[in-house]
Amino acid sequence: MHFEVNGKQVFATTGGKPFDNSRPVVIFLHGSGFDHTVWNLQSRFFAFRNYAVLALDLPGHTHSEGPPLESIESMADWLNDVVNALDNISLVAHSQGCLVALEFGSRYPERLRSMSLVTSGLATPVNDVLLGAAKEDPEAAIAMMTGWGFGPAGHLHQGPIPGNSMVTGGTKVMRGNTPDALAADLNACNSYRNGKQAAPRIRCPVQVIVAGKDRMTPRKATDELIAHLHKPEVAVIPESGHIVPQEAPNQCRALLRQFIFSNSPAT
Amino acid sequence: MSRFLNFDTLSLHAGQVVDPEFGARAAPIYQTTSYVFPDTDTASSIFNLERGGHAYSRITNPTVGVLEQRVAALEGGSAAVCTSSGMAATFCAITAILGQGDHIVASTQMYGGNISLMKNTLPRFGITTTFFDPTDVNACREAIQDNTKLIYGELIGNPGLDILDLEAIAAIGEEHNIPFMVDATFNTPYLCRCFDYGANVTVHSLTKWMGGHGVAIGGVIVDGGNFDWGTSGKYPTITEPYAPFSGINLWEEFGPSAFATRIRAEAMRDIGPSMSPMNAFLLLQGIETLSLRMDKHMANTMELLDYLSDHEQVSWVNHPSLPSHSSHELAKKYLPKGAGSIVSFGVKGGREAGKAFIENCELASHLANVGDAKTLVIHPATTTHSRIDADALAAAGITEDMVRLSVGLEDVADIKADFNNGFRAAKRFA
Repeated sequence: MHFEVNGKQVFATTGGKPFDNSRPVVIFLHGSGFDHTVWNLQSRFFAFRNYAVLALDLPGHTHSEGPPLESIESMADWLNDVVNALDNISLVAHSQGCLVALEFGSRYPERLRSMSLVTSGLATPVNDVLLGAAKEDPEAAIAMMTGWGFGPAGHLHQGPIPGNSMVTGGTKVMRGNTPDALAADLNACNSYRNGKQAAPRIRCPVQVIVAGKDRMTPRKATDELIAHLHKPEVAVIPESGHIVPQEAPNQCRALLRQFIFSNSPAT
Repeated sequence: MSRFLNFDTLSLHAGQVVDPEFGARAAPIYQTTSYVFPDTDTASSIFNLERGGHAYSRITNPTVGVLEQRVAALEGGSAAVCTSSGMAATFCAITAILGQGDHIVASTQMYGGNISLMKNTLPRFGITTTFFDPTDVNACREAIQDNTKLIYGELIGNPGLDILDLEAIAAIGEEHNIPFMVDATFNTPYLCRCFDYGANVTVHSLTKWMGGHGVAIGGVIVDGGNFDWGTSGKYPTITEPYAPFSGINLWEEFGPSAFATRIRAEAMRDIGPSMSPMNAFLLLQGIETLSLRMDKHMANTMELLDYLSDHEQVSWVNHPSLPSHSSHELAKKYLPKGAGSIVSFGVKGGREAGKAFIENCELASHLANVGDAKTLVIHPATTTHSRIDADALAAAGITEDMVRLSVGLEDVADIKADFNNGFRAAKRFA
């Protein structure tokens, strides 16, 4: 569905059920260059189990009006405008979305019931080659993102949805964004420095999902994130690359289900 | 594995998870109709498209799934759906987005089955077609109507072998927000990946070069994932709620694979032209050697083009690799590895000479197929295109003396020796 935030059209899928804010809310945030479809094997599941779901497109991504936002902090404030009067939110985030979640959780801790962080560190420094490519040669940058982002299963075009190639699908999603979206995302990640201050301020239960074959988030960065959070639940999916929601959707969904069902049960 | 795998590697590995229990290296043949669910929640999740998985082999099957993902990988598509035949693929792809009152713009130079589908069958369902000369891009543009929802063609036209100008036709589609669907059977993704030039959907008869062995019928639809189904409002089957799956909006939920998902959710379920696991396995064996075979097909084709061009009993030879062919420049652009292994030529002496040639070839098989490992010959006017009328025959560039040759993988010296026998028998009609 589309709705207006700060005068701009924003898109979110509701997982196939009308959004009913009397139900516990689950919000999904995508990573750099991606869109809401990265969560399509999780969002629909929660929508059909009595949760009110919003899987968002950040500004400038697929169905949401641009321009793309330029900092993690502005994305956190934008998210606060999106959720408006909603509280008791279970926030689920992937990669760049995790930085937005950390910042949102530190600024608006009272709004959250739980937070699930999938493949993230406290910060996400981006190498100069990728930053340069995102600005000058988006197609090369997309190839780097999907090349490094997906693990062995992605590169072998395997996947849990029969007939679908997740690595090609990811490429097409990135091509469908506004031309400067990926560069804006990567610059925002690279510039974000507030993770160490933000993480300890989060009050809600936090879950961290780690991918064993993640080449985009060094394990050291994830360990640092875990160290700054208050007793997070940590789970590792050994065979997945960075794009866990697509590469290991069933394991990811099972972990989210266990965590969200227990922290924010739906009747 | 951090870099994209190349074509030959994908031909062997894409889509397959090595059997976790027994370690079988080959893709197992899952000869089963149905699948045991671990619990009711998993079952309902699969039926409701909340998770991937298999419920019933009419809709998905693990062996067929390997083939689908392999072809999607080779084509650079976001998803693929296999069907029982190439014609089933074409029908399912068209009817996924068109219905009563809609219109197709299609090339005149296509397989007779495609022409018959659009000329005779689809009108019964309220879908009409305007055909255009594939060598005339403006004719394509001028054929577009307010209700046109699809542009359709074959990259290498059958049997005239005119090459469709993919980029020019794709630009027309983009201008009018109409998807461009290409029957890529004759080129295979080894010779040309049509999505790289703006096509939005490809369909294949896998029976031909992709399988290569001539032992299994099958088709596939590949979703390029590069068409905006949402902006125009013309494709409600993709962008509006779909009642049988709790009102799912496929465009919103599946994005670049929305079109393929519609085919899976509707055509495979409600019509059911599914591929058998055994055929999927056989076709996978063929695809493992696709590049090797296509290179040999092309090498033999070039040798036979020289042989036929120099033969005194051959009145004309038609192939896009020949500088004399009107599509030669387009062939160089889109098909630099070779413009396919179909050759047409005229035998001096007309219909009777052509018939004598075919009947006296012993190695080359006289049958209605193309793309086999074995060399095939046929007389289109009396076989593959026999059920289309004279005007359409002429429009397709078919003459009575035409022999269509599908060049195989035999030693080319043996093919020439066989043809020499055919020409000797045809000589009395020259």
